[in-house]
Amino acid sequence: MGLKFIEDKCIGCKLCHLACSGAHEGAFNPKLARLSVESYYQNKGLVIEAYVCTLCGKCVDACPTSAITLKNGRLYYEVEYCINCGICVNTCPEEIIVQKEENVGICDLCEGAPWCVKFCPHGALTYEEVK
Amino acid sequence: MLGYQNKVLRIDLNNKANSTEPLNMEWARQYIGGKGLGIKYLFEELKPGTDPFSPENKLIFMAAPLTGTTVPCSGKLAIISRSPATGTILDCSIGGHIASEIKFAGYDAVIIEGAVDTPSYIYIEDEKVEILSAHELWGKGSHETETTLLHRYGKDCKILSIGPAGENLIPMACINSDYYRQAGRGGIGAVMGSKNIKAIVVKGNGNVKVANMKETLGFINHMMHENTLTDDNLWAYTDGTAMIVEMSQTTGILPTRNFQDGAFQSYKNIDSEAMKKVRAGKKGCGSCALGCGNFTKIGETVVEGPEYETIALCASNCDIGDLEALVQFNSLCDDLGLDTISTGNTTAFAMELTEKGIKDFGLSFGDIDAYLKVPEMIAKKQGIGAELALGTRELAKRYGGSDFAMQVKGLEFPGYEPRGSWGMGLAYATSDRGACHMRAWPVAQEAYGDVDPFTTEGKAAMVIELQNYNAVKFSSIICDFWALDLEVLSQVLNAVTGEKFTVEELDRIGERVVSIGRLFNQREGFTSKDDTLPNRIFNDALKSGATAGKKIPKEDFEKMLVQYYTIRGWNEDGTIGQEKLAELQLIEAKTAMEEA
Repeated sequence: MGLKFIEDKCIGCKLCHLACSGAHEGAFNPKLARLSVESYYQNKGLVIEAYVCTLCGKCVDACPTSAITLKNGRLYYEVEYCINCGICVNTCPEEIIVQKEENVGICDLCEGAPWCVKFCPHGALTYEEVK
Repeated sequence: MLGYQNKVLRIDLNNKANSTEPLNMEWARQYIGGKGLGIKYLFEELKPGTDPFSPENKLIFMAAPLTGTTVPCSGKLAIISRSPATGTILDCSIGGHIASEIKFAGYDAVIIEGAVDTPSYIYIEDEKVEILSAHELWGKGSHETETTLLHRYGKDCKILSIGPAGENLIPMACINSDYYRQAGRGGIGAVMGSKNIKAIVVKGNGNVKVANMKETLGFINHMMHENTLTDDNLWAYTDGTAMIVEMSQTTGILPTRNFQDGAFQSYKNIDSEAMKKVRAGKKGCGSCALGCGNFTKIGETVVEGPEYETIALCASNCDIGDLEALVQFNSLCDDLGLDTISTGNTTAFAMELTEKGIKDFGLSFGDIDAYLKVPEMIAKKQGIGAELALGTRELAKRYGGSDFAMQVKGLEFPGYEPRGSWGMGLAYATSDRGACHMRAWPVAQEAYGDVDPFTTEGKAAMVIELQNYNAVKFSSIICDFWALDLEVLSQVLNAVTGEKFTVEELDRIGERVVSIGRLFNQREGFTSKDDTLPNRIFNDALKSGATAGKKIPKEDFEKMLVQYYTIRGWNEDGTIGQEKLAELQLIEAKTAMEEA
C-alpha cells in the first residue's frame, strides 16, 4: 500500500501539507510536510507538481546508521540511531524528506492511515496497492 | 487563545521603519479576527475625517485564528481601510494563499501606515521586513508584477499586488493575489497605490499552533467530510459561481442593460454549462475543501472565472452575450487591477447615458469592440476612461442620470436585481460599505428559495440575521461558500482556540461587528439618508421575465428600513443609542468617537 496522486483531482488547497505537519510536528507548517503538492499558474497554464513517498527505499540504502528501514511496506525511522547527517534528505529523489534541526521527517504513511489522504477533499491523494 | 500568533507587524512607510507588538487579545475575544478585528483596529486608530488617499489612512491586513489551519475554507484574508470610493469603512476579503503565509511568517495582522515617496514594494520573510524599489514594476500589470516577483523570490512566496488602476488611484481599483484572486471593492487597490506600494511579498517559515492538535485534526477532518463536502456546498466544486446565472435568469434577477431588465436573452452563452466547455482546470484557495475556482482558456485568453458577479455586471448588464469577449474583459480587469463589479456597472451606465442621448461616450449596449477598450482606458485614465474612472455616482453628478446610476453610498450594485428580491434591496441600502452582496445574501431565501421576494414581510429580520451571521463568519474567516451554522462555527473556533465561544456569543459578536462598522460611518457623517437605493428601483418596472412589472415602491422600502432600525435597536434616525452601545460593549468605541 502506498500513496498515489491523481493530478486532475487536485485543487491545490495544500490541506495535505497542513495535515501532514499537524499530525507529525504538532503544528501547521507546510514547509514541514513530508510531501509536496504545488498548483500554480505559469505561462498562461495551470501547473500541478506533486511529490510523495514512492517507497523506493533509496533513503534506506543510503542511511549510514540504519535508522531508516523498510518493513511491511512502510518506512520506519528510529530517531535514536539518527546522526542527522542529512544524507537521506539529499538522496530522496522526490525531495520530500524534511531536514529539521535535530533530526529528519520521513513519511511513515501515518502507520497505515495517512492524514494527507484523509484531508484531500476530492480524492487527488489515495492510499492504495502499489506495484 | 491558540490559533493566534499574538503578533502585529506595523510598517511605517513615512519613516521606512517597522515594529511588532502583541495582538490586542481583549479585542480579539470581542471581535475574533478578520473583518471584525480589522474594523476595530481601524476605528480606534484612524482620525475621523482622514482622507482615504492621505498617508494617514491605514491599510490593515488581518488574518484570523483559523487561518493557516486545516479548517476547510479558512484561506481568506481581510483587508481593511477607509474607502476612497465611498468614504465609509471598507473591508474586503481576498482568497489565494496569502492569508496563511502571513500567519506562517508569524503575524495575525500587518498594518501599513504612511506612504513612501517613490514606487516601492514590501518584502516580508518572518522577522525580516524590507521596503524595496518597485521602479521597474510601476506601470506593469498585476500578472507581470507577480511573475517577476515569483522569479525573484521563488514560487513558495505569496504576493499581493496592484495594477495600473491602483497606481492611478482609480476608486474601483482592486488588490490581486495568486493572479486571479481579488480584494475587489471600494478602491482598496487605490489606497495601496496612494501609499506608492506596488506589491507585498510574503514568505513564512513558522508554525501555527492550535489548542489540541490530535483532537483538532480528527474533529476538523470529521467536520470537513460531514459538513463541508456535502450537497449544500459542493456546487462550488462542480460548477462554481457561474451556476447562479441560470438561477438568476429563471427568477428574473439577472442584471441586464444597466438594470433595465432582469432577464437576458443570451444567458445560455454565459452560464455554467457554457463555462464548463472551456474549463481548463480547477484551483482553490489555501485550505479550501471546495475549490470554486475554474481556470478558463479560450484561445490565448486565460482567466480564473469568470465568476458570477463578473458575468452579471460585465456580460448581461452590458448586453454582451459573447463568452470570449467576457473572458477577455475579465482578464484585462484582473491584470489592470480593476474591480469587475464596478467596472461593469460603470460601463453599462455609460452605455445607457449614450443610448439616452445624455452624454455620448461612444459606447453602446452589446458593442464588443468598444467594450473591450474600456478597462485599459479606465485604468490609465485615457480618453473616456478618465471620466468613467469616477464611477457611476460621480459620473451622474457630472452629466445626470442619478436615478439609474446603480450604486449605494458610491459603491456599484452587485449582480442581483433587488426588484426581484426585496430583502436584497434592504441589504444593499444598509450594508456598511455600500451596495454589497457579501454583507447579506437574502436572494438565497427569496428569489432562489421559498420566501416571497415581493413583500416587506419579515425582510428586516432576515437581513439582520444574515448580516450578523456573515459578520461573525468573516471575522472568524470562513469563506462564504461553506454554509456552516453558528453551532458548527463555534465548535470549529473552540477546537482551534481552546476558548468556549457559544452560539449566542457568536451571534452577539456578529451584531457588534456590524455595529462598529456603522459607528465608523456615523463618525464620518453618514446618516439614514444614505441608506437608500437609486430611484430606478422605486419607480421603474422591470420589463421581462419572471419579474416583469416589478419594482419596490418607495413606501415599502421605507417601511423595511424603519423595521430594520427598530429590530436592530437603533434610533429612528439610524444612529446607535447609548443603551445599545453599552449592551454591545461599544461604549469605549463611542467615547473615542466623541473625543475625536
